[in-house]
Amino acid sequence: MTGAWSWWIVGLIVFNLGLTFFLFLWAPRAKVPVLPDGTTGHVWAHGVIREGMHRLPAWWIAVSLAMYIAAFAYFILYPGFGDREGTLRWTSAKEHAEATAANAQRLDPVLARLAAKDVDAVGGDAQARRLGERLFVDNCAACHGREGRGNPLVGAPDLADGVWLHGGSAKDITASIRDGRTGVMPPWSALGNTAVKELAQYVLSLSGRPHQGTAAALGAATFKANCVACHGADGKGNPQLGAPNLTDDVWLWGGTQAAIETTIRDGRQGHMPAWSPRLSDADIHILAGYVHHLPQRGALAAR
Amino acid sequence: MAYRHFEFVEKHVWLLGILTAVMVSLGGLAEVLPLFVEARSVKPPENVKPYDPLRLAGRDVYVREGCYLCHSQMIRTLRFETQRYGRFSTAEESAYDRPFQWGSKRTGPDLARVGGKYSDDWQRKHLLAPQALVPESNMPAYPWLASAAIDGNDIAARMRTLRKLGDPYTDADIAGAAAAVEGRTELDALVAYLQGLGIANEPQPVRTSALAPSADGRQP
Repeated sequence: MTGAWSWWIVGLIVFNLGLTFFLFLWAPRAKVPVLPDGTTGHVWAHGVIREGMHRLPAWWIAVSLAMYIAAFAYFILYPGFGDREGTLRWTSAKEHAEATAANAQRLDPVLARLAAKDVDAVGGDAQARRLGERLFVDNCAACHGREGRGNPLVGAPDLADGVWLHGGSAKDITASIRDGRTGVMPPWSALGNTAVKELAQYVLSLSGRPHQGTAAALGAATFKANCVACHGADGKGNPQLGAPNLTDDVWLWGGTQAAIETTIRDGRQGHMPAWSPRLSDADIHILAGYVHHLPQRGALAAR
Repeated sequence: MAYRHFEFVEKHVWLLGILTAVMVSLGGLAEVLPLFVEARSVKPPENVKPYDPLRLAGRDVYVREGCYLCHSQMIRTLRFETQRYGRFSTAEESAYDRPFQWGSKRTGPDLARVGGKYSDDWQRKHLLAPQALVPESNMPAYPWLASAAIDGNDIAARMRTLRKLGDPYTDADIAGAAAAVEGRTELDALVAYLQGLGIANEPQPVRTSALAPSADGRQP
């Protein structure tokens, strides 16, 4: 704000408050000519409507005056009168800083208490779970759902089923949240449509789903040649690579024949963003505890 | 001043109208006009470039579809906002936005720092069918974006216009615009725009904490 604009605003305020001050002085004493019938002589609708003459009620003047004085108080205390700071030196950034500090004062002891616990213990702490749920709903629920049950549309795993794609230890969960995860299943369309369909039958057979035996047997050979490097010879996957276990009937991208064929043909590159630095390490610690605890909650709900 | 002066104003409707307009505009003259004229002094942060062609196209889709009617891009200086969304917004971040997309209503969440919060895939599927990902959402679907192509020459023309307004596009930037959006859909563009919010208009990544932001919303 340059000096000229500051004076511009000061001028407008002085004009406005000055005019109002004049009205306060003048209006109560103004001599308004009144006709013998008590009206001002202003008529509408051929005299049907006439303008009466009454003084403003005292309460109205009192309220106006109070507001007028409040305007002065505001300009003394707060910024607004040109580039004057105001005696309180209020700024929105300062108010924000104070509110944040006040919040930190209440929250920091809780965070310190929880930081000292390991992730398993955080998951068992009721207060941590309340904080964790808030973080989860705001940041994670968009993909994993409010209850953490996942969404095959974006390959977001169910977090409450106790099956962990990248490992379920406290360390693994923390790493998943902090650094994110990216799926690396390549597309296998080059194998040809028939081979993809056979492979899908074999994958269905691994978890005991209904399948065509002959096609599955043909698919087994293709599986051995192409898939075992990540999913393992027995199809049990590899949490080190984030390769899912194909025998447990838990499906990241859907377990129907069509979904499995699409997964093989086009590949899957599900992406979980890294949450550091969007979330602080303290947040991630609490969130990891919450997620670690979800399978227990899922088990309780199932009962 | 006597009563007859006031009576004169009251009885001449045009004069009454003009004087009323003068008094009503005092607030705007004090609060809006100075900032409006001084807006040129807001400079983009260092190292922040104007929108690349794809994001520029996405921004125009954002405006056209009226996203600003339900989403703000303005994190206020309130503790519970910086806690949820990150560091509060500053004018500099919107220096290349014409018009700015601060918005005034939040039916959906603030988007000022949504870039990178979700995966590209999530953003695409969410725009095509929001309820498939967020069942309780009341956001409408935008399926036509997936098949709407972007006209590269049109984007180049927009960049030339923005250059006239002061955005530092080079000739090479404008010449490369058509190639940059070749074969991309409006959905690609909008996702690219969203993924840049709070990232590409910032000088460097800013650490924030959802539970305990420091005084200015930054992570220490």
